[in-house]
Amino acid sequence: MGLRYAPAILIGRCVRVLARLRKPGGGSAVPGLVVNKIAPGFLTETLNSFPEGLVIVTGSSGKSTTTKMLVAALRGHGKKVFTNPSTANISQGLTSALLEEASLTGRIAGDIAVLEMDEGHGALIADALKPKVVLLTNVMVDQIDRFHDSEMVAGMLEKIALRATQAVVVNADDAFLEQIVTRLRGTVDTPRFGVSVDVLDANPRGLGLAAMTPRRMPSEAGVLVRSVSGRSTEVTIDGGAVTTVRLPARGTHYAVDAAAALATARAVLGNRFDPAIAVSTIGSIPPVFGRGETLQVRGTTVEFVLVQNPASFQLNIDHLDPDTEQILFAVGSDVRDPSYFWPVDTSGLGHVDIVSGSKADELALQLSYDNVQIGRIERDLGKAVDEFLAMPEPSRGVKTVIFSADSMRRTRAHLGLSAVEAPE
Amino acid sequence: MSDELTIVTLFPSLLNSNGDAENARVLARRAEWAGASARVVAVEDASELPAHVDAVVIGSGSDNELEAARDKLRTLLEELRRWGTEGVPILAVGTGWELLSHGIELAGSNGGPVRAIEGIGILPGRAVPRESRVTDDLVVKSKFGRLVGFENHARDYNHAEASPLGRVLSGSGNGRGSGQEGVVMGDVFGTHLHGPVLAKNPGLADELLARMFRRAGLDYQRGERAASVDEIARAARNQIAVRLGLESE
Ligand SMILES: [Zn+2]
Repeated sequence: MGLRYAPAILIGRCVRVLARLRKPGGGSAVPGLVVNKIAPGFLTETLNSFPEGLVIVTGSSGKSTTTKMLVAALRGHGKKVFTNPSTANISQGLTSALLEEASLTGRIAGDIAVLEMDEGHGALIADALKPKVVLLTNVMVDQIDRFHDSEMVAGMLEKIALRATQAVVVNADDAFLEQIVTRLRGTVDTPRFGVSVDVLDANPRGLGLAAMTPRRMPSEAGVLVRSVSGRSTEVTIDGGAVTTVRLPARGTHYAVDAAAALATARAVLGNRFDPAIAVSTIGSIPPVFGRGETLQVRGTTVEFVLVQNPASFQLNIDHLDPDTEQILFAVGSDVRDPSYFWPVDTSGLGHVDIVSGSKADELALQLSYDNVQIGRIERDLGKAVDEFLAMPEPSRGVKTVIFSADSMRRTRAHLGLSAVEAPE
Repeated sequence: MSDELTIVTLFPSLLNSNGDAENARVLARRAEWAGASARVVAVEDASELPAHVDAVVIGSGSDNELEAARDKLRTLLEELRRWGTEGVPILAVGTGWELLSHGIELAGSNGGPVRAIEGIGILPGRAVPRESRVTDDLVVKSKFGRLVGFENHARDYNHAEASPLGRVLSGSGNGRGSGQEGVVMGDVFGTHLHGPVLAKNPGLADELLARMFRRAGLDYQRGERAASVDEIARAARNQIAVRLGLESE
C-alpha cells in the first residue's frame, strides 16, 4: 500500500503523544479516531495485509479469554502474532493499537493477526475485511440497550462469518451458530468444539446460550470438553487421546474457551498444528483478572469475580464456594439498565455484606427479591472496597468481590493493581 | 379460592427478553412478606395452566417470535378475557402487551410494505411503527404513584387514550404526541415499562396485590420486609429521576 497512509500514521502518532501528555496512561482511543477520519481505509487495509492472514474472534462472551489462549498457542508454534488489547475492540481503539506498531507504509511486522471483535463493531467493518479464519464463540442474550435480541446478534455474527476465506470455527452446542453453518453452504471448513453430556449434566442451568442444539457433539466431530474439575479440563481432539488442559480460572466457560482456542489454532495452522504445544501454551496463560482470580491485597486474600452478562452472572454465582462468608457486590455504570439481569437466580448467594457501585440500589433490589440478606449499601465504591478489606478475616473461605466490568476497572484503579485504560 | 396464591407467567421462553416475567416473582415475594403463601408457575403450554390462578404476568419477547407468542396466547383467549374482568390482575409488558391489542404493525425492512400481525384483541388500540426504536428511561405520573423504569420498543401505541396508565413526565411512552403511557382496562395493565417494573414501583405492585387478595377474600397489608425493600426502590427511582432533572420524592 506504499506510503499512502504515512501522513495519517504520523498525525495519529502525534495525537497519541499529545493525548498521553494531557492524561498519563490515557487517550488510547483518540489517535485512532483522528486517523479513521483522515484515512478511512487504513484500518481494514492494514488488517488484511498479514502474510498468514487475519483471524477474528467474535461472539457474545468468552472472546477475550479465548483470544489470549489462541494467541498463546500460535506463539507457541513460533508465529509472530499481532493482537488487540481487549479494551480496544472498538474501531478507534483498534486503529490506535495498530498505530503503535505500524511502519510508515502501514505494514506491521508479524505473520498473523488475531483480533477480538465486538459483534456489533465487527459487522460494521466486516465488508472490508478478508479474514482467513473466524471463530464464533456463542450467542447469549447481551445487553439489551445495545442489541435488541439474539436473532440480531446472530445476524451480525453471520455477516462476519460470511467473510471467512478458509474456516469458520463454531460452538456445536449453540443452535444459532449451527444455523449460520447451514447458511454457509459448505463454502468454507466449519470445525466444531463442544461439551459432553456429562459436562452439560454438571451444569443444571445450562451453558447460558440463547438457544442450544438438541444433541451434544460426537467426540470424533471436533474438540470435545469431556469433563471439568476445578482449574483443569479434559479434552479430546477428534476422539483421540484424552488431554488435560489447565484453565485460567474455575468454570465450565473457561473449558469451552480452551476448546475453542484449540479448534481455532488447528484451523489456522493446519498440518503444522502440534496438540502438545497448543495444550501447554494454552495452559500457561495467566489467571484472568477479575474472573475468579485470587490476589493478595493489603495483606489479605481476595477472590475477584467478573459478571458481564446474565450467563456469566449465573455461572459465576453457581460456581462460588458455598462457604463464602464475606461478599462485596458492585455493579457500575456499564450496565445502563440492569433489567436483563433479573432472570438470574441470585438466591444462592445467601447474603452480601456490601452492595456497591453506581447501580447499587438496582442490584440490592434484585438481591432482596431473591431473599438475599444485605449488610449495607455503600454507593461509593472506593469506600466500600476499603471497608470490605478492613473487615476482620473471614473464618470460612476468602473475601470475595463480585463486580461488573466498570466496577472492576474502578476497583483495580482504587487498589493501584495496574494502570487503567482510559474510558472510550 | 385456595390456600396458596398462584401467580402464573405466560410463555416465558418466548416472553422474557428484559426480565419482565420476573414481575411474577415480585408479586409472590410481596405476598409472602404480607403473610400469605404464594407460588410462581411458569406456563409454557395451555395444558400446564393451574386450576386456580390469582395473577398473570406476560413479558416482552423478540419480534421474530411475535406470531409464535400470539398463537400461544390465543390458546388462552377465553381465560384471559375472563381473568381481566373478574379481579385477576394481568400485567403485560412490551410486546406481551402489544399482543393483547387489536394488532401490531411492523415496519417493512428496507422500505418494504408494512406488515400487520393480528393481536388477540382483549385490549383497545394497536401498535404502530415508530421512526426509530426508543431505548431510554421512562417516568410516568400515575394514580399508583410516580412510576420510573426503562422503555425499549420500536412501536408506538395508538388508541389507549381512554384509559392510559399515566402521563409521561420523561421519555416516549405511547408516543404519537399522546403524552401518555400504557393502558388499563378492568384488571389488565399494559405498559412499556420493562424489566422489574413492580419491584421498582411497589405502588403499582401493591395495587395488583390488593386486587388479588380481595378476590381471595383476604386483606392486603404491605409486609415489614416490603417496607424496607421499598426504601431501596425509592432510592433507585430517585437516582434516575434526579438525573433526568425531576424532583426527588
Ligand atoms: Zn427483535
